[in-house]
Amino acid sequence: MILVTAIGFSFTENLMAQKDTILLAPVTVTGFVPERFMSGIKIQKIDSETLNQFRFQNIGDLLSFNTPIALKNYGPGQLSTVSFRGTSANHTAVLWNGLNINSPTLGQTDFSTIPIAGFDQLSVQYGSAASVVGTDAVGGSILLNSVAQPFGLYIFKAESLDSFLNYQSQAGAKYGAKLNAKWDFSGKTALNYSRMIYRFPYKERQSYPLLPSETLQQGLVQDFFLRSKNGQELSAHIWLTKNRLTLTPKEVAGRELTATEAYRTLIRYQFEGFSMRTSWIRDVIDYATGDYKNLDHAVTDKFSNRIEKDFRWDFGQNGNNIQIKTGGEWTHYRAQLAGYEKPLITENRGDLFVLTRFQAHPKLVVSANLRQAFVTGYNPPITPSLGAEYQLLQNAFYNLKLKGSFARSYRVPTLNERYWKNLGNPDIKPESGWNKEIGLEQNYVPNSNHVFRISLTAYHNRIKNWAYWNPSKNYKVENIQEVLARGIELQAGWKANQGIWKIGADLGYALTRSSQERIYDSYATDVVGKQLVFVPLHSGNFNAFVQYKNSRLTGQIQSVGKRFTTFDNAQFFNSYTLANLLAETTFEWSKIELRVQGQVNNLANTFYLNVRNNAMPGRSFAINLLISYNSNKTNTNEIRN
Amino acid sequence: MRKQLTKVVLATSLAVVAWSCNQSDPVVKGDYIQGVFVINEGNFQQNNGAVSFFRREQKTAQADVYLDENGSTLKGGVQGYAVSGGSGIILVDNDKAGLDKAEIVDPNTFKKIATIASPDIDNPRKVVVLPNSSKAYISCWGTNADYTYKTGYIAVIDLSTNKLVKKITIPNGPEKLVINNGKLFVGTYSFGGGKNLTVINTATDEVLKTIPFSSFPTPIGIDANGKLWVNSGLDAIRLNADTYAVEATLKLSTNTSKYVNNFTFNSDQKTIFFVLAYDDANYVAHGETYKFAITDTQVNVTTPFIKRYFTGLSVDPSQGLIYAGLSPSYGQSGYAIRYRTDGSLVDSVKVGIAPTGFVFRQ
Repeated sequence: MILVTAIGFSFTENLMAQKDTILLAPVTVTGFVPERFMSGIKIQKIDSETLNQFRFQNIGDLLSFNTPIALKNYGPGQLSTVSFRGTSANHTAVLWNGLNINSPTLGQTDFSTIPIAGFDQLSVQYGSAASVVGTDAVGGSILLNSVAQPFGLYIFKAESLDSFLNYQSQAGAKYGAKLNAKWDFSGKTALNYSRMIYRFPYKERQSYPLLPSETLQQGLVQDFFLRSKNGQELSAHIWLTKNRLTLTPKEVAGRELTATEAYRTLIRYQFEGFSMRTSWIRDVIDYATGDYKNLDHAVTDKFSNRIEKDFRWDFGQNGNNIQIKTGGEWTHYRAQLAGYEKPLITENRGDLFVLTRFQAHPKLVVSANLRQAFVTGYNPPITPSLGAEYQLLQNAFYNLKLKGSFARSYRVPTLNERYWKNLGNPDIKPESGWNKEIGLEQNYVPNSNHVFRISLTAYHNRIKNWAYWNPSKNYKVENIQEVLARGIELQAGWKANQGIWKIGADLGYALTRSSQERIYDSYATDVVGKQLVFVPLHSGNFNAFVQYKNSRLTGQIQSVGKRFTTFDNAQFFNSYTLANLLAETTFEWSKIELRVQGQVNNLANTFYLNVRNNAMPGRSFAINLLISYNSNKTNTNEIRN
Repeated sequence: MRKQLTKVVLATSLAVVAWSCNQSDPVVKGDYIQGVFVINEGNFQQNNGAVSFFRREQKTAQADVYLDENGSTLKGGVQGYAVSGGSGIILVDNDKAGLDKAEIVDPNTFKKIATIASPDIDNPRKVVVLPNSSKAYISCWGTNADYTYKTGYIAVIDLSTNKLVKKITIPNGPEKLVINNGKLFVGTYSFGGGKNLTVINTATDEVLKTIPFSSFPTPIGIDANGKLWVNSGLDAIRLNADTYAVEATLKLSTNTSKYVNNFTFNSDQKTIFFVLAYDDANYVAHGETYKFAITDTQVNVTTPFIKRYFTGLSVDPSQGLIYAGLSPSYGQSGYAIRYRTDGSLVDSVKVGIAPTGFVFRQ
């Protein structure tokens, strides 16, 4: 979407305190993920307008229309996992306020269970950043953040109904106030509910059945921030999600229930470059068929503590500085799964890291990071990374930046991979990868009315000891594969402002070549060099909007190339293009605002298939309403999230 | 361009030839009149089973004939295929409830004719046709949602109307079917818990008799002398096909950690081939292929006939070659491997995922 060049810029503003003397000074840090140590790495921030437009969809829908991330979808309202830069579903770290929320048992996130309503900010970090993020950040990371709210009161209620009779509702408040001369308080409380019953007016499309399914989803988000004048911040965050998926609900004997619950809580304190965080996450998965008498019940708890300290050393006359963040994290897992060797599995993991950022020259930033993870039973590889960004050209209208990164990545095996009865492998090794990438980013602002951004990135990511649930060995997990993912990403954006008219467009294209490279048995020759399943070689997206005063028309297009469905590439799904159209307008009465949005999904009634070889739905219509009260509201045309 | 021109000329002349053939002699038309059909189970959750096809002289197969001729896949695992006159019956097993079916196609063109869907057909396993009739029998586990095998039945299909005529209840998971001389022999599935072979009268479609065995029975077929062969446990048992009296019992192995499957007759019905296998700690099957003659008094399992495990085994009645299904995994294409009756390798043809059976058309 919008290519943000926040890295680098945010700290050119920080060029105060230029001293020759060596000084280890504390720095005030906001944000949960230390993105400033990710120099050389591409980060895409999804703007609040896009988040707002997707508020009734899940994060997978948003990502597929705005990034080159490929989705592996089992059907509407069903399991939806991602492949980022040609890697598997286990190779994308999903961080909520800096905390990895991938399921510890599966090592992945079902994106159909993550509603957009659950967070305030969304950034997508491309490529390996394991030295900063930790395990799973091999193909990239999805960063979800909560933010402190401004003073005042904002209350909202939102409703959506679509032509498949799916109903969704959201309500909440954001609030902030001065507590006393020293402390400010702010927070957010939000609830979301959705009842997706998918009453399709047809049973099949082009002779392929649509699998009947129903999904009920409930969620609660609670954030509190206490901030002091002297820079202390204490925050508490709770995010509860419940998801109840029923497949073929009318087949009383054969229906399947998958109910998941996630309890995510986190407390964080920071002051003068020191921060500590403590968290608890519980994931519950229940699975049953028929009368649901025999519930397959799985509970995983993850307790985690993190401490970190920032240092800054300014020197020279040109704003040169070195920033260091060092810290550690300790996590305890408790898993109770019927399929495991033992009724209760516990595991301890630790991480130590040193992150550095060196502003060597006003035009050059270098990051060198090092992380060592520790896991009960064995040690993952030491994980270094080196990244740099260099301003090739910079003037008032134009800047061109060259960035590059060379980073190791690792992935700690999931609990299922180690402890699942028979099929799991307690001796499985952590995966280890080396990611190289280089990119160009340019911004062109010819005048105050136009902004052009374009970026081009090439990467090469080789992952050894790739863990593979080997279908030749009845799906026993083994470190037998080696995957080489390489590709090119092009992203371009344009925004224009002409008085009461606003217009913009974004274009993305990705070439993703990802292949298995190792011959490990006599029939692996049929698989070697073949494109990984469900990873399209070509993919693209295009979004455009035109806004007149308070009304906006948006078109969203995503194009997914041919996807192979078997490891030897003998079977495949055809390419397809999906288009959505959104029209919206906002009415204002003093501090009250009503936003009315009409949405056409799958405008062209495109036929495409999901992983189960079932049809995906055709065209549908939705009407979304958002009514809000904002005590801070002055007479402005801005649409607020 | 030149190539295209040649193609056009060739196509035109072929069309003319076809047309003139059509004028003089009303032969059956279609691309699939003669050749080998391969039943590929596919990967269960991906619902990507298929019927592959190749002519006997070919070394490459059409991986999914139904897709090629109908523009869509079968949308499930393929469990069986049988041909009766102008009907080809394909058993399709979807991983989700309510989406199973028997797809009826024209066997010569493979174009779809009709669908017999769930709940008439639920979890179909095997199909046989009654010769010189329009009747087909399909063993079905029924909904079997709890895997206790209590909902099984034989679906009796009338191929003149493509409708279900009757369900004959069979407990314990009906599986392999053998039809002979007005009788349908029904075996049961290994995990179904049953020990009876059911005999059904094909004139009345009523159960005639149930024959008890020491373990779940699998009817193998009728030999050159008209005897019924049944596998039960690690035994191959020869029975009188009319009185069901046991005439001989051959031990196929004394190692109880092993199991036998994929029985098939040679084209002269005088030799039986089978696979003797065991599962390793990961439940991965290993084993070899053996044979015995119907007159043997004991079976030699010291020297394998073919030192390989197969997921399917059949003999082409017209050429006598042995067709063996090899499945590297459920994630990639399998192979049809051809052997001569002396066990020497002919060649292999890449087919669909998990080949489990073969259907030959003359």
